[in-house]
Amino acid sequence: MTYLERLDDLRQRATERLAETTDLASLQEWERQFLGSRGELTQFLRGLGTLPAEDRPAAGRAANALKQELTTAYEERRAQIAAEELERRLQEDAVDVTLPGRTPQLGTVHPVWQMIREVSEIFALMGFQTVFGPEVETGRYNFDLLNIPSDHPARDVWDTIIVESENEEIVLRTHTSPMQARVMEKQQPPVRVIVPGRVYRYEAQDASHEWQFHQIEGLAVDEGIRMSDLKGVLQELARQLFGPERRIRFRCDFFPFVEPGVDFAVDCAICAGRGCRVCKYSGWLEMGGAGMVHPRVLEGVGYDPERYTGFAFGLGVERLLMMKYGVNDIRAFQGNDLRFLRQFAAA
Amino acid sequence: MKVPMRWLADFVETGLSAKELAHRLTMAGLEAEKIEEIGSLWDNIYVGVVRSVERHPNADRLLLADVDAGEHRLTVVTGAPNIAAGQKVALALPGARLYDGHSDSGELKTLKPVNMRGIRSEGMVCSEKELGLSDEHEGILVLSPDAPVGAPLKDWLGDTVIEFEITPNLVHAFSVVGIAREAAALTNRPLTTPPHADLSAIPAGPPTLVTIEANDLCPRYMGIVIEGVKIGPSPDWLQRRLSNAGMRPINNVVDVTNYVMHEIGQPLHAFDRDRLCEGRIVVRRARPGEEIETLDHVRRSLDPNMLVIADAERPVALAGIMGGAETEVSDETTNILLEGANFDMKSVRTTARALRLRTEASARFERGLDPNLVGQGMARAIHLLLEVCPGARVTAIQDVYPAPVEPKQLQMRYSRIAQVLGVEYPESEVLDALKRLGFAPRIEGEGERRTLTVTVPTYRHDVNIPDDVVEEVARVIGYETLPTTLPIGEASPVRRDPMYRLQETVRTAMVGAGASECITYVTQSAALLQSFTIGEDAGFVRRAPIAKLVRLRNPLQADRDLMRPTLIPSLLETAAANLKHQTGVRLFELSRVYMPRGKDELPDEIELCGIVLAGQREPVGLYATASELDFFDLKGLVVESVRRAGLSNFTVERAEHPALHPGRAARLVAGDTLVALFGELRPDVAAQFDLEDLRVGVAEIDLAVLERVRHVGQQEITVPRFLPVEQDFAVVVDESVPAAEVEAALLAGAGPLVTSSALFDVYRGPQIGEGKKSLAFRLTFTAPDRALTDAELVKTRGKIERTLRQRVGGTLRA
Repeated sequence: MTYLERLDDLRQRATERLAETTDLASLQEWERQFLGSRGELTQFLRGLGTLPAEDRPAAGRAANALKQELTTAYEERRAQIAAEELERRLQEDAVDVTLPGRTPQLGTVHPVWQMIREVSEIFALMGFQTVFGPEVETGRYNFDLLNIPSDHPARDVWDTIIVESENEEIVLRTHTSPMQARVMEKQQPPVRVIVPGRVYRYEAQDASHEWQFHQIEGLAVDEGIRMSDLKGVLQELARQLFGPERRIRFRCDFFPFVEPGVDFAVDCAICAGRGCRVCKYSGWLEMGGAGMVHPRVLEGVGYDPERYTGFAFGLGVERLLMMKYGVNDIRAFQGNDLRFLRQFAAA
Repeated sequence: MKVPMRWLADFVETGLSAKELAHRLTMAGLEAEKIEEIGSLWDNIYVGVVRSVERHPNADRLLLADVDAGEHRLTVVTGAPNIAAGQKVALALPGARLYDGHSDSGELKTLKPVNMRGIRSEGMVCSEKELGLSDEHEGILVLSPDAPVGAPLKDWLGDTVIEFEITPNLVHAFSVVGIAREAAALTNRPLTTPPHADLSAIPAGPPTLVTIEANDLCPRYMGIVIEGVKIGPSPDWLQRRLSNAGMRPINNVVDVTNYVMHEIGQPLHAFDRDRLCEGRIVVRRARPGEEIETLDHVRRSLDPNMLVIADAERPVALAGIMGGAETEVSDETTNILLEGANFDMKSVRTTARALRLRTEASARFERGLDPNLVGQGMARAIHLLLEVCPGARVTAIQDVYPAPVEPKQLQMRYSRIAQVLGVEYPESEVLDALKRLGFAPRIEGEGERRTLTVTVPTYRHDVNIPDDVVEEVARVIGYETLPTTLPIGEASPVRRDPMYRLQETVRTAMVGAGASECITYVTQSAALLQSFTIGEDAGFVRRAPIAKLVRLRNPLQADRDLMRPTLIPSLLETAAANLKHQTGVRLFELSRVYMPRGKDELPDEIELCGIVLAGQREPVGLYATASELDFFDLKGLVVESVRRAGLSNFTVERAEHPALHPGRAARLVAGDTLVALFGELRPDVAAQFDLEDLRVGVAEIDLAVLERVRHVGQQEITVPRFLPVEQDFAVVVDESVPAAEVEAALLAGAGPLVTSSALFDVYRGPQIGEGKKSLAFRLTFTAPDRALTDAELVKTRGKIERTLRQRVGGTLRA
């Protein structure tokens, strides 16, 4: 065989064998056989000296050209095999994407506090400060300063839990309203506060009654505060809580510490006022009581009722939640069943 | 209060349906709670007249009645013993739906023709029970003689009854006439006055007939003597009205007093005058030791604060509350003394409360009745009594009314209406609204200086100040006319409550760590607190003498009468309830405990965060490994929340509490100040809360203290620029040395470049010897101004070795 024939043979075998390589290992084997330091091409180059002198330059060029050619082919094959191997590895690594994810364990904020947070934020935007007051309260703040004298039947509206004491009348506050007087005693108008908190009634429990529950009191006192402002502020609340189309309705009602006094309802968001199970087919959902701060309450804290007027309102927190989520048993909120509470995680 | 629409129609024709009227009144402050239809089911039932009654030819106990109902005339077979020719009766035709007279199932059955012993009965004469009017089934219902034959029974006896909730301020609307007056005002219709007798025509009685000794408690007492009364049942129409309004008919005289109270609003009482000692009345305070047996046959001891109606010798009635049994009108009564009076509202209220005896009468007096109503009530009652007792004679009257009440006048700025409501109504509308309600208003002056003067009817005890007048205007014109505005005026800074902010921080940390928030009841029992009691004191992170805890006089649950000094027992109950359906729980509550102060002082209400962890760390799942929550989950949670709240300088050390596992109890302190107490419950304590065989971690963080010792926003925050260098140190120390001390020594030796340290391995074994342990820490070093090199830290190693040796007797492993 001439050296050219030998090189041709080498090229042919090398090309064939290269095509047969399947992975990096067989490729390495091929490299060792043909291009490595003991490989056939290296051997050929080393054996150039045994050729006739006139053939040597041409043979050298041809062998180097072949080396170049095989090296390029080798690189290409290597890249190809690497790509194939990566692809294979990725395929082996595939998962059933419908298997569950690793869920971070998150707890839930109690719905009552979610609602307090929400209402407090809404009112903060209207300039109301959130303040808190004592749950164990004197009769003076819970009743007397709110124009509810002990010899008036209005007092019976609040079934009261009484604290053992010697002379002073001490009760569990029956509403968040005592903070009206406490706040006003400490500052001069303008006053704009909301007071979330726990309140207590001596009341048998059933699906719509709790003896311990939460209220949010609102109070604004200044020159020029009008009942239409009360309606506007409550409408704003209703719209932010229940949707932009909501309307507020006032109905004349009696609370000794406001005059005029109303209870206020929002048109039912579920049926848009047409009547459904949630609103008991009335089209309206009662949200709470409200009115203009009674002049006697203002006088009691040393404000001039001719100059200053104010509005006050009280919201039942659990009631709002029951309206918003269609919960039909108020006791669930203090039942603390995690299966109930967790439903509010996404609320 | 129940108001039958037919009764109301005696005084006002509103032209509205019951539903519409109920809505109008509700919006104006008289809340209609429900609307009840009487007779809505009476289809195919007519007023009939019994033409004749014969014996059934084939049955001794059955009768054949020929009943004529105009278009329908038929023979019915009946067993009713009281049926007689000439009676007006309720005749049910086939298709009528009736209740079963012989059972209490409450089921309606449709009437079909039946054959009874050979005679076909096409219809039925009904009892009250079959019509659903009452439980009466002894005989058939006999209608009054003026019932129109052939009329549907529904038109004759049916009614719609609206039940109102009367708020405590309202007394003027606590009667059918009062509601009619409101309805007339709201719909702008005239009001009719009920027929009444002329009291001025009655001869004056002897001055001794009525004596008021307690003038301060009894502004007016009118007594009228009626002789020749024959006691018997009231006429059908009166009985029907009373029962439709929710009252039981008793006899003609008592029924009239109840009827008038319901219609006019003035409570009345009839005494059997022959049983009154000397036949006279003395209004006075009870004498010490006096007693009375009231109409409900309860003997009641009286005290000298209580106002009584007495005869010459003894109390015969509790003024404004209830009559006495001994002078009650009975079947034998022939002469009565009718009382119409006014009593002090506070006195009636105090006595009714003291005796726990609330009646329809006391409910009205408590609200402040108009003394002028006495005359109207009595005039109406005499009219009715003469109608229901035809032979009776009104023989004497005495009206003791020393200081007649005059209508009061209120004067106010006209602009007050707009100042309060935010809307300016035309004068004519305002005047019209007030006139409709019976007020006499007038406006004087010009522009801003206009005054509104209003004469207030004496029956409006609730209208006393200008804003009361504003409300009257608003509720008649209607709140729907009120615009919506937003408050204008000076803005004032809105400050955030520091405690609320802290609670929100802790809440966020807790929820992020997987804990769910609870709200539990604030009361506890001494038994529940037993394991949380140390000597005289009860509590957990806060303690107070158990004998001084805030105690409730009327708790909802009799044994839970203490305002809690710790949140833990309530949370443990919640955990136990949840573990019935959960494999593990992480619960927290942000709530108050009540630390007692003086007897008549309000307690200190301290905000705490309570935590309970128990059960499996993770719910069952593909990646979950079964492991139980323990002390270290709890510690991590407590420490991390406290850090998040801005407390960095604190230590955790061993602690003791009777409820806690002695080897797994710790406290977190900032300097000497206790911030949190936590640990695993003793198994015997856990068992008391139905949490057997579980590690139960409990903690309380004192937020009041944390708020005081934390630093908010004062810490300097650096922007990292250079890569940190990490080095591991394995420290060998005696078994007894706490890890925290080793770490403290390590950090002291390492100097200020350490930015974090983590204990990552604890090893015990032969390589380090008996009674020793090796703690491996990874320290991270960072310099703010340069990249550190390993070489730079070589010196540090030497310093660390020295410090460890000196402070904890430790050595570094190579």
